[in-house]
Amino acid sequence: MNAPLLELVKNRVVLFDGAMGTELMARGLPQGASPDAWTIERPDLVREVHEAYFAAGSDVVSTNSFGASPIKLAGHGLEGRAHELNRAAARLARDAAPAGRYVAGSMGPTGKFMKPQGDYTEEEFSAAFAEQARGLADGGVDVLLIETQYDLREALAALRGARSATALPVFVTMTFNAFPRGYFTLMGDTVARAAAELERNGAQAVGANCTLNSEQMVGCVRAIRQATTLPVIAQANAGQPIIGEDGRVGYSQGLDDYVRFVPEIVRAGAGFVGGCCGTNPSYIRAMARVIQKERS
Amino acid sequence: MNKSDLLTSMNKAIVAGDRAVAASLAAEAVRSGLDLPEVIEKGYVPGIQKVGELWEQGEYFLPELISSAEAMKAAMAVLEPEMHRQKIEAPKGGRVVIGTVEGDIHDIGKNLVASMLQAAGYEVFDLGADVKLERFIEQAEAVGAGTICLSALLTTTMAGQKRFIGLLRDKGLRDKYKVLVGGAPASRKWADEIGADGYAENAVAAVKLLKSLTERA
Repeated sequence: MNAPLLELVKNRVVLFDGAMGTELMARGLPQGASPDAWTIERPDLVREVHEAYFAAGSDVVSTNSFGASPIKLAGHGLEGRAHELNRAAARLARDAAPAGRYVAGSMGPTGKFMKPQGDYTEEEFSAAFAEQARGLADGGVDVLLIETQYDLREALAALRGARSATALPVFVTMTFNAFPRGYFTLMGDTVARAAAELERNGAQAVGANCTLNSEQMVGCVRAIRQATTLPVIAQANAGQPIIGEDGRVGYSQGLDDYVRFVPEIVRAGAGFVGGCCGTNPSYIRAMARVIQKERS
Repeated sequence: MNKSDLLTSMNKAIVAGDRAVAASLAAEAVRSGLDLPEVIEKGYVPGIQKVGELWEQGEYFLPELISSAEAMKAAMAVLEPEMHRQKIEAPKGGRVVIGTVEGDIHDIGKNLVASMLQAAGYEVFDLGADVKLERFIEQAEAVGAGTICLSALLTTTMAGQKRFIGLLRDKGLRDKYKVLVGGAPASRKWADEIGADGYAENAVAAVKLLKSLTERA
């Protein structure tokens, strides 16, 4: 039995993994297909990605279930398979995890809005996330990671849903944009308000992921650190997507430039560090080296 | 309320995103027999422009933008039938077909662009998400649109924007339409590379872009 992640992070920086979707695309995930369905259709390839991240030095990998809430799955006609897909995603990551490593159950946004901007109620969102959380818990994850949230109301609904369904610790990351006045979500939630509300509603770690590159993430982590006593999570993008001459998709922030800011992210107060869009096992390997150096 | 106060109140109702007030002011304008196109141009449109400025300054966010667009729609829902009855031509910015390209189910950004274009006076035909490329052309041909907007959130589906330009060329229709692209992975450079007419980073920028393109034309 592993020591709980929340104990581990008191002693040292804990390394998460990098992107999953782009890794699956590199392995042939067709355009428009549900990455979450690949847990069952191509478990070998999903497992390969988890193994690559563990081999690169990740303490924690996130399950291939980012889009596996019933509401998001409905876009692919898979809403009836939410529990099955989440449980399978958790088992797959669990099986790939060497002793002493961890699995976080990934729960991404629904892609829909609550009233008045959208058609959904808070109860519907909570119920959908609760179902996802149950599947992930049944498959054996160590923690739940509600991530890439752009609406604090949705994040709180997810948090309540997850906590109603399981006794697992719940971590929440939101995605912020950098403005002259500070960091805001798409809906205008500030870092201070998001961190405080999430803490008050029982999140056990909070942070930021996606959108910001690793340089911008430094300031965002600093702002989160000031707003909460909880451990802080930081998973930056490798810049913005760019289309190369050959038509292939790359990201604007190269590995060296990305990793350069990792020590600053740690010093700004992040206890959990990982990558988001555009990062891959090479980024994680380089981050592991940097973090090792920071520790000593 | 005198006319000047009425126009100011209309402006404020849009900035505040107040649907009920925006609609009741529109009804008052109709009752008072005011020049309705003038009411739109001098009362409501400055409001939506102000909302755009507040968004660009990082003062307004998505909820405010949506509320204001909804308030604009509520006012137009009162004014349009009356203008139709009086056989007055509404000040229209033209017809726009919009959708998220095939293989991509993301529609938050696209919906926002559609709302803001509509609020700015364009007649918007929203095809939804995961739209076959041919559908954009069929719809544009059917309604006589001048502009086609394609959204893509994924780096894998943005290639559909490029294929669409090719499809228009193959059909000999490239010069018939302005083609605008948007979505997280898209950029000005991408628009230039694939031969689109423009790229907008957000819904407010999309309105400005379309205005500049249609005024130039």
